Order: sequence, then C-alpha cells, then structure tokens
Amino acid sequence: MKGSTLAMNKNKFVYTAFLAIAFAATVSACKDKRSTGLEYARNMYDALALNPDQPVDTANKLLASFKGQAAQTPPANTKPVGFTEYDEFPNTKEGYEAAGVSMVNPLPVDTVNLAQGKHLFNVFCSPCHGEKGDGQGHLVKIEKFSGVPAYQTGASSRGGNMVDLTAGKIYHTITYGVNNMGSHASQITPTDRWKVVMYVQQLQKGQ
Amino acid sequence: MRDISMILKSVWKSLFVFSAVTVMAVSTVSAQDAKEGRTLFRAKCSSCHALDAKLVGPALTGVSDRHSEEFLLKWIPNSQGMIAAGNPEAVKLFNENGKVAMTSFPELDEEKVKSILAYIKEGEPKAAVDPSVVKAGGGESGTSGLSIAGIVAIVLVGILILVILGRASKLLERLILQKQGIEIEEDVPLKVGVRKMFKNKKFVMFFILCLVIALGSWGWMGMWNTGVHTGYQPVQPIKFSHELHAGINQIDCQYCHNGAFKSKNATIPSLNVCMNCHKAVQARDNYDGEISPEIKKIYNALGYDPETQQYDKSKEKPMEWVRVHNLPDFAYFNHSQHVVVAEDAIRKAKGLQPTEPVCFACHGPVNTMEEIYQYSPLTMKWCINCHKETDISGQKNNAFYAKVIEAHEKIKKGEKVTPALLGGLECGKCHY
Repeated sequence: MKGSTLAMNKNKFVYTAFLAIAFAATVSACKDKRSTGLEYARNMYDALALNPDQPVDTANKLLASFKGQAAQTPPANTKPVGFTEYDEFPNTKEGYEAAGVSMVNPLPVDTVNLAQGKHLFNVFCSPCHGEKGDGQGHLVKIEKFSGVPAYQTGASSRGGNMVDLTAGKIYHTITYGVNNMGSHASQITPTDRWKVVMYVQQLQKGQ
Repeated sequence: MRDISMILKSVWKSLFVFSAVTVMAVSTVSAQDAKEGRTLFRAKCSSCHALDAKLVGPALTGVSDRHSEEFLLKWIPNSQGMIAAGNPEAVKLFNENGKVAMTSFPELDEEKVKSILAYIKEGEPKAAVDPSVVKAGGGESGTSGLSIAGIVAIVLVGILILVILGRASKLLERLILQKQGIEIEEDVPLKVGVRKMFKNKKFVMFFILCLVIALGSWGWMGMWNTGVHTGYQPVQPIKFSHELHAGINQIDCQYCHNGAFKSKNATIPSLNVCMNCHKAVQARDNYDGEISPEIKKIYNALGYDPETQQYDKSKEKPMEWVRVHNLPDFAYFNHSQHVVVAEDAIRKAKGLQPTEPVCFACHGPVNTMEEIYQYSPLTMKWCINCHKETDISGQKNNAFYAKVIEAHEKIKKGEKVTPALLGGLECGKCHY
C-alpha cells in the first residue's frame, strides 16, 4: 500500500515535470519582437515626470488639460527662455523684403562659426541644396526633389539672383520656407540659423 | 507594261521609305524636345508646379488646352511684366491663383518654352516596370520564412521515413523469426513500457537531472534577459522606413532627431518636419497616381488638405509613435554628451567609418532597418564595459579634460586648488 502511493506520487511528479518542460520550451521558443519581454519592477522604469513625446494618462485628473499629450505649446503670452521673437518680419513678400534690408548677421565671421555653420548646412540644407550649394543635393540627384536653385547661378523665385540674396533674406527663408521648402524654424535655433546664413553667404561667393 | 509596273513599284517604295523616315524623324524630334523639356521643367518649374497636383502653382497637365501657345510663350518668360501691362488673361490667371506672383524666366527662349510644353503634353515617361524589382522588397523576409518552413518540412519527412523504415524492418524480422518457428513475445503496450521505465530508479534519477539542468538554464537565461529589450521592434503608427530615409535618401539623422546634438533627448520629430519634404513628395508613382496611404496618415494627423494646401487646426491629432529605447527612470543618459563631446573617442572605440554617423555606435546600422528596432541591450553592464574600454587619451580640443589637466598641473606645482576648480560650484552638487 505504502509503495503504491509512493509510485503514484512519483508518476504525478513526472507528469508535472513533463508539463513544465513543455511550457518552458514553448515560452522560450517564441521570443516576440513586438513585446519588451519579461520585466521586473516595472514601476522603477516609469518616470513620475512626463515622458517627452509619449502619451499622458487621461485618467489623471490633474493633467486633464494635457488631453493625453506630453508635448504642449507654451501658454499664451509666455515665451521660453532664450526665445527670439521674429514678429516684425512676417511671412509675406513685404516681411521678406524688410528682413532683407534691416537684418544683419549678429555673429562675427570666424572659423568656429563657419565650421558650425558648415556642419548645420550639411545636415539640414545639403540633402537638397548640395554640399556646394549648387542645387544638386543627393535628393535632387535621385530625382526625389527638383527645382532647387543654385546659390551661385540660380534666379530667386522672389526676384533677383540667388547670388545677391542678403543675410536677412536668407534668414527669413530658413525661418518660414518658400515654395517647396518648408520652415526649418523648429529644427534650427535662431543663433544656429545665423551660422547657416554665414556659411551660405560663403557658398554664394563660391568659396 | 512591265516597265511601268516596275517604275510604279519603285515610286511606291521610295514614297514609303520617305514617309517612314519623316515620321521617325518627327517623332524623335518631339521625343528629344520632351526630354529636354523634362530637364528644364525639373530645373525651373518643379519647385512650384507639378504635372497632376497643385503645389504652389496650379497643376500643369492640359495647360496647352487652357491657354493658347501664343499666350504661354509670352507668359512663361515674363509673367509679372504681362500682369503689370494689364493683359486681361494674365490678370485673370494671377487673381485665380491667390495672387502669388510667378518667377519670370527671361532665360527661357521660345525653343525652350516649346520643349517644356512638349514635355507637359506628353507627361512623365512611363518607366518600364520590372516586376522582379517591385517584388524584391517584400520577397526577402518571405524567402527566409519559406526556407525555415522548408527545413522543418525536410526534418519532419526524414523522421517519418525513419519511423516507416524501422517498422518495416521490425516486421521483416518478425516474419523471418516466425518462419524459423521461434515464439515471439507480444509487444508490451507503450503506456506499460513507460511505467516500467519509471520504476527504474536510475532512469528517474537521470530524468530528474536533465530536468534540473533544462529548467535551471532556462531560468538563468530568463533572469539575464529580464528587462533587456534587445531586438524590441514595436509596431509604429506609420510604416516609416529608416532604410529608405537614412539609407537610400541619405538624410542625416540630425535632420529629424535634431535634439541629439543639443540635449539629453534625441527627440522624435514633430510632423512639421515630415512636411518639409512630404508637402511635395507624395510617392504617387508607387500608388497609381494616388498619395501614398502612409503619407496620408501625416496629412490626416495634421488636418492638412493636399488639394487646397490648407491646414485645419481643429482636425489635428498627435501621432502616437511607440518609444523603442526605454531606459529605466533611475538611469540618466545624455545624447549630446556622447555624440558631441565623446564623438571622436566613440568612433575610434567602435571602429566606425567616417561616412557613418556616430549614432551607429549604439543604434546599429539604422540605414538598413526597414523597421526600427533596439540594437544594443542598453544594460548597465553594456554601459560600464564601454566606459571601461573606450580610450579617451589624446582628446586635445576637449574643454572638460583641459579643466582636469589644469587642476592636475596645479596640484603638481603645489598651488592652491579649490573645490570650485573641480566643478564644486555646479548647481547639481547641492541641489538635486
């Protein structure tokens, strides 16, 4: 009697073991690339502060005004630290002409500014305008984009030649965009924009 | 009689040849025109016009039907002059298109304008569609899936054949034994056999040992991989391909992730950055003249109407990208520190090519990832190992190390060194 119960227990044990192995094999075999996998103490991973670019819990009543979104525009009549206003030159032909006349590059022309301007130009402008500003960027060469004027020889769609564009006009164009070129104001800060302008003016001279 | 027919025949023949040659010549001339026109169109017009979609200016297909050639020959080189002169058709056209002045092109003479018009009339030359090229994109993952299925099938068939052969040989053996008149023991049923096996203590011992090793190693691996997201590839709301944008189009990482060089966060681009290109790039060629459904998702999220080119703020909704790289809240990582200050050292340590962005050191070959995934484990061990092994000696233009060296020189000379020199006045030293 005693022996048989022991045998029974042993059988049960063996069956469980079998099940465990089968389970282990199934779980480890299918690693799902869509899931983050096993996690321990998840609450140590999640920040209390809002995660940039990520949804906000809509159940949180204190954050109801966020409407589920962490990225917010600043409240009315406030401005971020270091924000440069550019209201006096609106996105119109008049604003463009006015910027061309009255804006000058506040940065001194030196090798440091030019080197940074070159880096920024290669990142943000050269895909279309080309590294030499000849309008033959990679995207133009593979025919994704076209109609990009050359700085040295092209004509501006707002009159005159590209080579004669003043610093203020170039700054205005980077800020608001023109024709098929979009506004790059959100990607390049005002100071960096002036560095790009400085470098573009070097390219105009073919240097 | 015969002579006349011969003459007639030769006349016919020459006439035929002549006309054929003329037709060919004419068609090549117009093809040549259209080709030249395409080049001119792409250089001069396409920053504001497309053939079949409204950009800054109206769509140009059928422009020769809407206006006389005489008008167009004057309008294209000098539209603003015509408006100023008060030409009624020109003024009407100007008013109809939101009073946006068109650039004057004095350099386009009559021949050039005509070839542009020829190109507009003929339309974009249809590229011969090579079915193998079209399929190549989707086929790749299919092949690997198929080959795995094939291997599994081969293995299964192999097992089946072995089992059948085993049975057959057993049957033959039995028959031979029966012929020899030897008594055969009946087969014990499988269940009884297994039960008998497990009565054997040595076997049970061995079995349990295997079990412990299997479960133990599985548990060990599981614990090592807990919270490690290597290979994590969530489904994103837009099928954005880094392979296309960073690989084929060679757009710099920073164009979209422009925070990486300035701040802790590399930033996910907001949709206005997409629109810098996708206002014009709509991939219509791949979707029978329709806007790509993935690009339409950008338009829908922005409330943008590609017909009128207007944004409707009330229809805006955020694009909910799924974050791929998740560091725990208790770990601090700063992108700019690594890609600006440490760029040279990281490049050297990871052996990056000069053409590759420094980002590849941790994010892997992003320019080949059709769908983005986490390349590095982002574990503490991974960080520490890199910080242990990376060589930062010889960092000449590095303000941080210059400061350390300055302090070191002072200590050597026995001069007074204050905590302030070593960053003791940083806010974070006391306020955190």
